[in-house]
Amino acid sequence: MKWNFQDIQKQAQDDAQAIGNPQELEAFRLKYLGKKGIVAEIFASLGPADPADKAAIGKGANELRGLVEKLHAEKSGWVNAAKSLEEQVDISLPGTGEDLGHTHILTQTMQEIIAVLEGMGFVTIETPEIETEFHNFTGLNIPIDHPSRDAFDTFYLDAEDPSSKGRRLLLRSHTSPGQVRIMKKHKPPMAVIVPGRVYRPDAVDASHSFMFHQIEGLLVDEKVQFSELKGLLTEFCKRFFGPKVSMRFRPHFFPFTEPSAEVDINAEILGIQRKKWLEILGCGMVNPKVFEAVGYPKGKYKGLAFGMGVERMAMLKYGINDIRLFYENDVRFLKQF
Amino acid sequence: MKLSLNWLKDYIDPKLSTDALIERLTMAGLEVEAVESISGDTVLELEITPNRPDCLSVLGLAREIGAITGKPVKYPKVKKHQTATLKNLIRIENKKDCSRYIGTLIEDARINDAPREMRARLASLGINAINNAVDITNYVLKETGQPLHTFDYDKLAGGKIIVRRARAGESIVTLDGVERKLDASILVIADEQKPVAIAGIMGGRDTQITAGTKRILLESAHFDMGLIRRASRSLGLRSDSSYRFERNVNIDGVLTGANRSTDLLLQLTGGKLAGRAQVWAKTAKASSRVKVKIAEIESLLGTKAAPIKIKTYLAKLGFKLTAKAGILTVTPPENRADIAQDVDVIEEIARMIGFDRLPSKLPVIKTVNLSVDKRPREVKSQIRKVLIAGGIDEIITHSMINTKALVKSNLSDMPAVRIFNPLNQDQELMRPVMLPSFLQVAVTNINRGQKDLRLFELGKTYFKDGEKETLGILLKGVHFFDLKGILDRIFQIIGINAVYKPAQISAFVPSCAAAIFIDAKQIGVLGLIDRKVLKNWDIKSQDIYFAGLHLDEILTKPGKSIKYQPISEFPAIVRDVSLSVKKEIPYKKIEEICRQKGGDILRSVHFIEQYLGDKIQPGNKGLVFSCHYQSNARTLREDEVSAVHEGILQALTHDLGAIRR
Repeated sequence: MKWNFQDIQKQAQDDAQAIGNPQELEAFRLKYLGKKGIVAEIFASLGPADPADKAAIGKGANELRGLVEKLHAEKSGWVNAAKSLEEQVDISLPGTGEDLGHTHILTQTMQEIIAVLEGMGFVTIETPEIETEFHNFTGLNIPIDHPSRDAFDTFYLDAEDPSSKGRRLLLRSHTSPGQVRIMKKHKPPMAVIVPGRVYRPDAVDASHSFMFHQIEGLLVDEKVQFSELKGLLTEFCKRFFGPKVSMRFRPHFFPFTEPSAEVDINAEILGIQRKKWLEILGCGMVNPKVFEAVGYPKGKYKGLAFGMGVERMAMLKYGINDIRLFYENDVRFLKQF
Repeated sequence: MKLSLNWLKDYIDPKLSTDALIERLTMAGLEVEAVESISGDTVLELEITPNRPDCLSVLGLAREIGAITGKPVKYPKVKKHQTATLKNLIRIENKKDCSRYIGTLIEDARINDAPREMRARLASLGINAINNAVDITNYVLKETGQPLHTFDYDKLAGGKIIVRRARAGESIVTLDGVERKLDASILVIADEQKPVAIAGIMGGRDTQITAGTKRILLESAHFDMGLIRRASRSLGLRSDSSYRFERNVNIDGVLTGANRSTDLLLQLTGGKLAGRAQVWAKTAKASSRVKVKIAEIESLLGTKAAPIKIKTYLAKLGFKLTAKAGILTVTPPENRADIAQDVDVIEEIARMIGFDRLPSKLPVIKTVNLSVDKRPREVKSQIRKVLIAGGIDEIITHSMINTKALVKSNLSDMPAVRIFNPLNQDQELMRPVMLPSFLQVAVTNINRGQKDLRLFELGKTYFKDGEKETLGILLKGVHFFDLKGILDRIFQIIGINAVYKPAQISAFVPSCAAAIFIDAKQIGVLGLIDRKVLKNWDIKSQDIYFAGLHLDEILTKPGKSIKYQPISEFPAIVRDVSLSVKKEIPYKKIEEICRQKGGDILRSVHFIEQYLGDKIQPGNKGLVFSCHYQSNARTLREDEVSAVHEGILQALTHDLGAIRR
């Protein structure tokens, strides 16, 4: 075969490299792609060629044409850009490159909450979604057949709890079982957060879902006070919602904290008119019965705990009006965040 | 719990505007959730937390408002009626189930409408008027919190009240006209023949008060809270009574409620008191006294409270206390069973001070005393970043799926953990695999006109032995190698070597499916989704690729183990190779031969392209790649590179039948 395509390609690349102005660009095009150019010449040689070489020659010619076209396009861009060194570049044209994907807004909200709390000294630990009756309820001072369970309707699994005969495993109905797990395993001082999915058999509508996300916080040490719970959550809200947020702590009831409170923020800060206050989280001082359940010595430790719904935080902060949007995953929703 | 402000004013005048009252109640832990105006009355809807059954009545709330505002509470005047004790009227089989029962018999009653005022008050709370006897029991329940019931005494077989467990096969038609099957887990009130009421939940239709009733038997009782709760749940029947019993109403209310309703029944039905029977269990009353160290108040709340103030706060709530040597001994009122530990008393003090008036300061967070391996979260975060950089959108889908979704995905043989009590079919199973979740999202988006989809989820899949961190990726409108390239980038950034092997996977097209291995352990799959599967999901496109990976091994693997290689000072020589081989020979095989024959001067082999088409011998594919030669010690000579390179080409020809192009 008379053609050394490797060499010709190399030559074309070298020629392209040398182009410095529009005239040279045109000369380059004619040299390879013109009527009497090299590509045409190669194709013309196909007729008399050895039949065994024909396929390779055709392929070589096509590849060469592709390469030259590519080099020409690249070079013409460069030549035009060079020309524009004297002209103003339209810097308002969009940049080039692939679009980024989008992190789900619930993940972003969780990351944001976690970043604030980690910045305050908390560490993040993930605990399982499939839980036992003890971790989800009894260890948290929520006895069987007690009305305090009303707030925690629960999915049970068709599987027995290996640690408690006759009791089913369940899907955690809140992230608080993480408290029990972590305290059973570790001694204070500790400051931990537990993020993750939780499940409750609620009928689905714009504000209810049978699966949602929570973030739990727990701080245990020998001296922890309610005033620190207030200080901590006030700081958290300022960092998350902005320094102008105003808050109130309302007495409430949770079996695993005493005293217990719910925290409201002023609706105005989020541009919401229909209400004055918006509930954002539950909190309190760890009930001594929880310390007892995890085997801590009586009276030695105090703790503060809080829990918040990630969906609720995201809905409030970003004005999302239907919880179902989070799990439907319409890309037109996903790509907004 | 609904509260009529007109009714409240019978017992207390808080001297506050409605808005101010709402604010005070809410900030005392009795959150007002709604306000309604009903014909000249204002009705508040309060959220009463499960620890405060004492607030489930107008009087209970009056008492609480009295404590908050310091205004006096006027209790209704109840006339004491003396009467004979009836013997053998009541029998309780197990006093654990029913620890107190007072039956009061009234004769010559005239049943008609209750007074207008009483009916209006009940109406404002959403309760329909029935007749004077029944309305009185409802009225007294709302007023005092004690559930009550009236029977037509002449309809009780044998004139007896027996408190017992229901027997297998028994049933009762309740006041709402529904026949309910009973069993031994359910406590009933029976006469000598049959159940006449479901204890603490609802009366029976056959013994209810009617226009013709002459003799009324009034029940005021106390039932075991857990028993009532279980029965109410298993029957799916809730009532104002069961709501209060399962929250453990104050046992002393049994007598108060009996006396108040007896008084009203005598006044409003014109009847005569014929006698009363009482059964009281000898319940050893646990000491309700709670000891509180004064110092503990400050150490929990972070504020000092003067003992005299503490005394005032607690006295307002009806607590009695004595102080000695820095310790308070507190006796809460009978109806505050929720006060059992020192922290409960301290919460009451905090509530009376007002949570908003307690100080606020940042906590001192000491070095945390537990070591946490942050790597799994870091690795997950890196994976997420690679995917986002690759233009892939994150989705979050439900952890539950239905059986049909597995069948449609050709994965019906996958064992899955079942939910015992799903609300609907979509919650039958914990997903053992992510593919069905992705297909659901794909259908939704395709039906809404999306052409290209690039989606991933970092979530979990669930198995008998626990849950696994799982990554799913679905790409539409791309090629197999785009998906593989994304996985390669993930493996690269976390520094692990993954091996892909052809595999038969039921959801994938057989010719385009692979299993992914790390250290000889399969951790995932990828492939082109089978056409039948797509058809099952009503997806018309055929270019949907999916990858699923279990991440636990990856997340817990130690970081990259790389040894630095000195950078060669000598030039590299690159030789391109173009050849054709049988289609079934994997490129990996060629690379292996290059490495075997390349000796220590072959640095790397780079794949350039694959060519399939009619310019190649049938059954073959064209491959183009380059071999990079370099030494750390010297400049390589052309002829030695050529010799090694030629050796490679000959081995490829000899071992694999490769044809040079």
